[in-house]
Amino acid sequence: MSKLKRIFGKWQLILLIIILLASIVAISPNPWAKGAVIKSVLKNSTAETAGIKSPGAQTQPMQLEIIKEISNQPINSLDDYYASVTSLRPNSSVTVKTNKGLYKVAVQTDISGSPDLGLRVISAPKSNLREGLDLQGGTRVLLQPERKLSDEEMDILISNMKERLNVFGLSDVVIRSAGDLSGNQYVLIEIAGVNEEEVKELISKQGKFEAKISNSTVFSGGSDIRQVCRTAECSGIDTRTGCSQISDGSWMCRFSFAITLSPEAAQRQADLTANLSVISKNGQEYLEKPLDLYLDDQAVDSLQIGKELKGKAVTDIAISGSGVGATEQEAQYDTLQNMKRLQTILVTGSLPVKMNIVKTDNISPVLGSEFIKSTIIMLIVAILAVALVLIIHYRKIGLAIPVLVTMVSEVIILLGIASLIRWNIDIVAIAGIIVAVGTGVDDQIIITDEALMKESQGTTYNWKQRIQNAFFIIMACYFSLMVAMAPLYFAGAGLLRGFALTTMIGVSIGVFITRPVYAAIVEIIVREDD
Amino acid sequence: MYSVLIVIRWGIFLSSRENSEEHKEKKSGLLEKAADFYDKKYKLLMIIPLIITLLAIGVISYNVIYHGEPIKRDVTLKGGVTITISGYSNISSESIQSFLTSKFPGKDIGVLTISDAGIIKARVVESSDFNEQNAHELILALSEKLPELNKDKYTVETIGASLGNSFFKETGIALLVAFLFMAVVVFLYFRVTVPCLAVIFSAFSDIVCTAAVTVLLGISVGTAGIAAFLMLVGYSVDTDILLTNRVLKKKKGTVLDATFSAMRTGITMSVAALAAVVASFFLTHSLVLKQIMLILMIGLLFDILNTWLTNAGILRLYYEKLAQKSHHKKEEDD
Repeated sequence: MSKLKRIFGKWQLILLIIILLASIVAISPNPWAKGAVIKSVLKNSTAETAGIKSPGAQTQPMQLEIIKEISNQPINSLDDYYASVTSLRPNSSVTVKTNKGLYKVAVQTDISGSPDLGLRVISAPKSNLREGLDLQGGTRVLLQPERKLSDEEMDILISNMKERLNVFGLSDVVIRSAGDLSGNQYVLIEIAGVNEEEVKELISKQGKFEAKISNSTVFSGGSDIRQVCRTAECSGIDTRTGCSQISDGSWMCRFSFAITLSPEAAQRQADLTANLSVISKNGQEYLEKPLDLYLDDQAVDSLQIGKELKGKAVTDIAISGSGVGATEQEAQYDTLQNMKRLQTILVTGSLPVKMNIVKTDNISPVLGSEFIKSTIIMLIVAILAVALVLIIHYRKIGLAIPVLVTMVSEVIILLGIASLIRWNIDIVAIAGIIVAVGTGVDDQIIITDEALMKESQGTTYNWKQRIQNAFFIIMACYFSLMVAMAPLYFAGAGLLRGFALTTMIGVSIGVFITRPVYAAIVEIIVREDD
Repeated sequence: MYSVLIVIRWGIFLSSRENSEEHKEKKSGLLEKAADFYDKKYKLLMIIPLIITLLAIGVISYNVIYHGEPIKRDVTLKGGVTITISGYSNISSESIQSFLTSKFPGKDIGVLTISDAGIIKARVVESSDFNEQNAHELILALSEKLPELNKDKYTVETIGASLGNSFFKETGIALLVAFLFMAVVVFLYFRVTVPCLAVIFSAFSDIVCTAAVTVLLGISVGTAGIAAFLMLVGYSVDTDILLTNRVLKKKKGTVLDATFSAMRTGITMSVAALAAVVASFFLTHSLVLKQIMLILMIGLLFDILNTWLTNAGILRLYYEKLAQKSHHKKEEDD
């Protein structure tokens, strides 16, 4: 009994307990958390207008705004939220009560015409641990610019892409530049919860938009276009042509949206149309040459120019295009997506350089959640297996327990640090945790055996020297592992960086925090027996 | 859960067996014989891992000559498409594979299965003959064979061939650099040439033998596998540093005694690591983790051979040469 008292009196153990408590606070686990929380607020949405603030990327998951009621109906789960929103009437307004305030939000419609508040909502998180893409599902794309970019150009490229994705409506986006040991440049984009198909076109197309008459450019995307209409009054499925079925049974719809040109572009149009003659087509009168729309040097549409525009510097123009689908609904959806993409490109302009897609990952959230379950079981069994080996080796449960406790502490502290630095935990990070804990166990065995060695085994050291010897071995192993992981941090476009980082942080926690504690505990347990 | 109970019961049985007196006597008899053999025949035992390492180098060289690469690369290091599908436990992987190969003749498509206690949990379809542009053809074909396949049920990963190749180069360089750094650290710590070379050779042998086994078993190695090799560098060096430290720093007793005391600790370390790795290998549903655990398993087993037969033998020879030298010196001085 006095042994236990002495153990708990050691300052190393007290320090460990403090650090453990701090880690648990950083993780903030709450397995009983339920409800719906706001992950992001879409730009220019009615929710944003009502004052709901979009959480920044640095906001911890457990600090996200919780939706409590919609129009006095309690919301206790993600399903409740969706059920409530689908039953709303567009153009009405609702009160949204959260744990941070009360908001009056107008109901808008999303791209498929369903009622929407402009909020991206997820199930209440159970801790501050952030799931990497492998675990929560989403899209990861690695792009390589066609030519080498300077640091400034890379910054412009990334902020342009970010803006493009934000304007499209995605805010839970990670974009960063990445490199490898050979000096190649990459741009890594990770978007949680989104399917690749929706964004591939958006992020890989350079987005060079040009409207030409014959081969002369009338206007191009960017500064020539002052305003792009994105509201329902002046954009959407073209009301004049609508949707129709084509010969092979599939459907086609046309979209149209209004844009405002700059005075210079409008004048250019006037100059280029001034000398065109008028022709007659289908009972309507048009100019002889159409306005051809090109996206990245590929023709996407051709618009007849009404005769009243001849020679006039008109700034308001309608841009149109189309989409297809197997059913009318699919065609409408495709059409509206195409429209949204084109609007985004016109608003943000083209990227400074052409990008090539070199890697894509389209990860299903279902696989991710299954993986988490199996991983937790795996970790528990691995820890039990190690404990078993130790019990057999030492024949003393008294020694196996401190080893178990330190193993579990290391995992908790590592996860605490991961929560603090907002690190995304993915599959390779979990592999890193296993390495760190495995190394930790080996080190603990070294300490214990060194402590248990008796004089007859050829060491005449006193206690202090024995522990110092053990730490000598441990530090040598520690530095070997650190230098083995270091190159991995920089290689391969940073895709194994999570693994390198978790391993390095994990073994460092072991060597500097848990090992000294373990040595102190072992001293008490073993010394008494000497 | 069932497997956990079995493991626990077996462990308790083992420890109680170990403690019975009769058993202790029997065991010490066997152990003594083994220790004796280890002592007398250490030079012979030392050669066994050396021969295995030479054979491993042979296997890898053969692979380089005939296939242009030291190990078999999977899609992540070559370029291609990987599709992971969960469920469909009632459809066999063979039928999926034959369906796909008949649909796309001439293309190399592999189907791997991840199962847990006999039930298929997930399937991985991979092919280097598809890329980002035509991956959807593969998915379309799969949706014919697997009913109600929707985006939520599968994960698609594509890698361009040039990126895959550059990953291979990069991670290969990373492995080399890690190995060199580790060698420098070992030299800085012990500062004696022969023992340090022994440690480095042991780590080198672990990696080469493990790589050769992956080639012989036809296992494809990806970025995760290379990460596992890097982990192996760290783990294998641990036991060698332990051995070298105990032998070099001993105050009295023979090299053999120091070796045996190091062995007790070292083999426990390896067995503990193996226990964790084997448990993880069987329980994980992720192909990435399975690959890492398999490579670690093979590497740890080779490490036991390399550390306690070769490295220990080299240290013993080194000590005997040193002892001879000082004995001669003493005779000269006298």
